[in-house]
Amino acid sequence: MPVLEAVNLTHVFPDGTTAIRDISLQVHDGEFVIIAGANGSGKTVLIRHLNGLLVPTKGKVLIDGEPITKNIAKARRKIGLIFQDSDSQIVGQTVAEDVAFGPENLNLPVSEIDRIVREALETVDLSDLSAQSPHTLSGGQKRKLAVAGVLAMKPKIIMFDEPFTGLDYPGVVQVLRQLVQLHKTGHTILLVTHELEKVLAHADRLVILHKGELVEDGKPEDVIYRAENYGVRMPVKNGEEVGRITWFK
Amino acid sequence: MTFFHYMHKNTVLHRMDGRLKLPGMLLLCLSASLASEWRHYLVPLALVTAALIIARLPIAALLKEMKFFAVIILIVLVTNAFTIAGDPIPYFPIQSVSIQGVMAGLRFAGRLILVIMVCTIVTGTTSLLTFKNVIEWYLRPIPFIPEVRVATMINLTFVLLPVIFDSYTEMMNAQKSRCVELRRNPIKRVNFIVFPLLSRTLRRADEIVYAMESRCYSEVRTRAMFKTNKADWFILTTCAAVLVFVIL
Repeated sequence: MPVLEAVNLTHVFPDGTTAIRDISLQVHDGEFVIIAGANGSGKTVLIRHLNGLLVPTKGKVLIDGEPITKNIAKARRKIGLIFQDSDSQIVGQTVAEDVAFGPENLNLPVSEIDRIVREALETVDLSDLSAQSPHTLSGGQKRKLAVAGVLAMKPKIIMFDEPFTGLDYPGVVQVLRQLVQLHKTGHTILLVTHELEKVLAHADRLVILHKGELVEDGKPEDVIYRAENYGVRMPVKNGEEVGRITWFK
Repeated sequence: MTFFHYMHKNTVLHRMDGRLKLPGMLLLCLSASLASEWRHYLVPLALVTAALIIARLPIAALLKEMKFFAVIILIVLVTNAFTIAGDPIPYFPIQSVSIQGVMAGLRFAGRLILVIMVCTIVTGTTSLLTFKNVIEWYLRPIPFIPEVRVATMINLTFVLLPVIFDSYTEMMNAQKSRCVELRRNPIKRVNFIVFPLLSRTLRRADEIVYAMESRCYSEVRTRAMFKTNKADWFILTTCAAVLVFVIL
């Protein structure tokens, strides 16, 4: 059974624009799925449905076979979402306070929150900055903080919305390392990006959206050579091995 | 700027229970406001100086930055000196300046300096999170006030402010690079900055709401734990004693 499933999802905005149309997608436990597409293809709208932030005009989202609407708080604990703009995700005045925001919402005891925050900051290697203001962090550190904030909720599935936007080379490598590590530790990863060259080598599956519709879904090596038909840069030449384009040394 | 900025340290004042620190601050401010004789100023001043040393706040930097308040203090001094009638200062060329006026001005300036120093100590030793929790704690018994929501709003305001300032600076620079200074009409120039900034801030606020929702925002959340020890009560009692001394 898929851990996450979108069934015939359609979202029409109040002004009549169709953001996504009839999208069906199944994600299995432990998968690393990339959702790619040009700007305006509906990637962000899709993952916001998968986190229950948007309500579809038509269709439904299932988590472990149950509709997401049945228990939205439980669903959001299970599926963490890291936003494109890390600044929007930061609500705390210190790094530790921001990480504690989620567990505090779950009404956990203070001692448990302290432990969770410590663990989450250790995981992303930000323990030394716990008392610092988030706005003084670098782009890569902010992205790490956003990851720690989500990890504190102990999700099984983690979704990243354009995690490489605005990051320099070391920042990209930092975030990529984090992503791969999270996948190795058993998390299911859904990653929205149009910068395939940075991450494709580590993914199990590539899904491409085009004008709100799901047009490709398969193994990266099978799908990638058609990516440019949908406005996504193909990071490999025809016949070149996808696994070779990793940004890790 | 060092004034009114929290400085993370581990001192008795930093560790003090915020629920007692806030009334302590009010008592000292009240003492400063009610002070009339010079000895009334000396006791709070001694206490504030001791607190500055104990809190390990950068005294030299604070003294240097007092210049930002110098204009206000000077206005207070001059206004009092000119408006309060009394005996003229011997050999002073301006006859309308009275000895009583200057003394009253100095007293007002002293009060102002004391209040600024007290607020600096409190803000320098109390994180915004503690402030938020204390406000939430004080609002809790008041009926019909959603204390968690109010505290969250205060918190978000502090989170959003630097972001709004950053956006403003970025927009101003972008407009300067396109020669906005050549526009003579100030209303148009304000228009160019206010509406995009408002729209960007609202969009960002929307994103923050989504981000909070995705992390299960709830008003039934873990409450802050406060710890009070003997030192905290001693500090509060000292502040109360200073007020009693000033009143008597």
